[in-house]
Parts: sequence; structure tokens; C-alpha cells
Amino acid sequence: MTGPGDPPTDEDVALAGEYVLGALALEDRQAAALRIARDPGFALEVARWEARLDPLAEEVRPVTPPARLRRRIEARVFGAPRQARPWSWLVGAGGLAAASLAATLWLGQPQPPAPGQGGEGLWISDMVSPDGTVRLAALYDADSGEMRVSVGGAAPATGRDFELWLIQGEAAPISLGVMPHQGQAAMPIPEDLRPLVAEATLAITDEPEGGSPGGVATGPVVAAAPLRRI
Amino acid sequence: MAGQDSELSELIARVVLRDRQAFLDLYSASAPKLFAITLRLLKDRAEAEDVLQEVFVKIWNNADRYLPDVASPAAWLNAVARNAAIDRLRARRPAARSEGLDAAERLADPGPGPEAEAILRSEGRRIETCMEELPSDRAEAVRRAYVEGESYLELAERYAVPLNTMRSWLRRSLIQLRACLSA
Repeated sequence: MTGPGDPPTDEDVALAGEYVLGALALEDRQAAALRIARDPGFALEVARWEARLDPLAEEVRPVTPPARLRRRIEARVFGAPRQARPWSWLVGAGGLAAASLAATLWLGQPQPPAPGQGGEGLWISDMVSPDGTVRLAALYDADSGEMRVSVGGAAPATGRDFELWLIQGEAAPISLGVMPHQGQAAMPIPEDLRPLVAEATLAITDEPEGGSPGGVATGPVVAAAPLRRI
Repeated sequence: MAGQDSELSELIARVVLRDRQAFLDLYSASAPKLFAITLRLLKDRAEAEDVLQEVFVKIWNNADRYLPDVASPAAWLNAVARNAAIDRLRARRPAARSEGLDAAERLADPGPGPEAEAILRSEGRRIETCMEELPSDRAEAVRRAYVEGESYLELAERYAVPLNTMRSWLRRSLIQLRACLSA
């Protein structure tokens, strides 16, 4: 998190500008994108460059897209059930399998953590609020890159949502999305975040409905637990 | 353009609240510009259509990330489109880019009348003035990167300079533009 006494370096400003210019090679671009997700100060520099350079796009004259595109977009955006973030919720899907997954996560014997190998295996994080009223279990399959969560216990207050965060070392938490109030959900973890999942801690915070407005956690931490290999 | 900005801001705010009609209105207001941007960068109609779908899914999902204090709503929407198109462009295998007819120019809607054009231009006048202060080949390279999506590698080949030289040209040009714009 960038504080007021922590101005961006010239190097950060230049890199943010290069990202917005778009000329970086794939690897450098991906590294910068990861930085945007983890470092709000850097993300702000990028937003400033976007505003600064935007008039260069004035010369691009509008082109009306084909009508079928609008229908496809409508189907993609509205066709799915509640979709607060780029998660594909499978709420209620999977029935028994999902229910037994939840039972395994809550009742299963904890295994001793294995040495960190981010690229493979199953990882779980069992988050329980200190008063025991909110429980959220997450199971991450590093081979498929999919995370499944199971939410139980007390729901957030009216007008609030629980949001899940990935915390790796000292870096700013990365939002993984808004949680359903009850039940199971599955989501693919974006490829660029996968290397960060192993050894990370997951946390849920209490946020305004729809999730934290600025991509930075604003509410109190409800529960947190490290991911451990099973 | 202040009227258009406040209209777009309101639509984005309503999209955050999951207002479907606002999303459709936002699509009508912004899709032609965003499609043109993706088409110009990708120079491939099918790919541009594909990316435009991603762009509007992102707008629906991430409208809460728009920072009204930092950028105009149009600048934010344009950035979402540029980012998605450039991500796609960089993920392509290094391939020969079409150097022939510019699809975006060929397909462009009839341009605005001279009066509207003058208003449009005044918005960009400041950056145009600053671009003119750069050596002309560097200003051209900035434009080729930003508008046409050329990479450092492609620009280095075009201007027959080493990759690192091209990168430091453009970095210096950016810093100079930033200083000029904040002067």
C-alpha cells in the first residue's frame, strides 16, 4: 500500500507510462499487469497515464460494430446469474459433490504442510471468524487453476458483502472477488495470479455490496487463514 | 464534451449498481469508439469483435474501478479497450502485421462535420502541442505505439535502431510529455 510519505519513483512513473503506451513485450507487460493488481500506488500512476495520453486516441474515428455483437455481449453479461466479478459462479451446481467437498474441508483431518510448490497439488484455507459465526473454506487445485469456496455461517449485514483476498508477503492484497452469502462457488484463478497462490494467505473482509469500490480492502478482516498443501 | 462526460459518468455509476439499461445505454454511447480502438490496434475484424465482447464484460464487472478524480469516463473506457486489445496483440506470436489498407480507417463511420471536429481537436490540443516539442521521429514512434499498437521490437525494426535505444527514446519521450502536460 502506498502511503502519503511514499511517492512513486521516477522508474515507477516511467514503467507505468510504458505500460499504457503498450509497447512492452509480453513478459514485461504481464509483470506490469501483476504489479497493477498488487500495488495500488503503481495502479494509480497507470490510471494517471491513461488520462494523460487519452487525447492521442482522438484521431481514431468511431466504427459501428455489427448488431450481433451487442446481442452476444448481452447474453454474456446478463445470461449468467449474479456475477459481481469475473468469477463464474457455480452456486448450487454440483449438488452432492459440492456438499461433500464442504464437509471434507470442514471436517477433514488437517495435514502437515508440505514444502512450498506453487505449481501443483491441492491447497486449502479454512477461514473461521474469531467468534466462529462466519466460516469460509477455499480449496485450490493448482493443476487446473480452479478455486472452490464454500461459505457457511452468518451472512454479511444487509447492503454488505464478504470479499475474498489473496495476500502474499508484504504485497497489497489482491481481490479474488465477492463471495456468495451461502453455498458453494467455483472460479478460475487468472493465470498471472497462479504463481502467487502457494504459501499465500486468504482473507475475507466486510465490504460494501458488490465489493470494495477501489479494489483495495476497506472493511475489517472477518477471517483469515494461510493456504496449506493437502 | 463536458455534457457527454457527465452522461457517461452517470451511466458508469449506474452500471456499478447493476443497472442493465444503463449498461445497454453505455454500450450504445461508447461501442463505436471502443470498437474502432480495438480494430485499429488489432487490424483484424474478427479479433476486434472478440476483444470488444471481453471489453464490455470487463466494463460490467469492473465499473467500480473507475476513478472519477483521475480520468474522464471516456478515457477510462478507452483504456479498458486498449488494454484488452494490447494484451491480445502481445500474446500473438510475432507475426507479420498487415501493412496494407488500414481496416479501421476503411470502415470508419462518416467523420464529424468541421465544427464538431474543431471541438474534438481542442480537447487534444494540449497533448498535440506537447507532441510537437518532441523530435518528429519520436513523436511518430509514440503515436505508432499508442494508436497502432506497435511494440518496441517492431518500432526498433522500423527505425533501424537497437531495441534498447528505442525503449529509451520512448521512455524519455513519455517523461518529456508528462512534464509538458503538467507545465
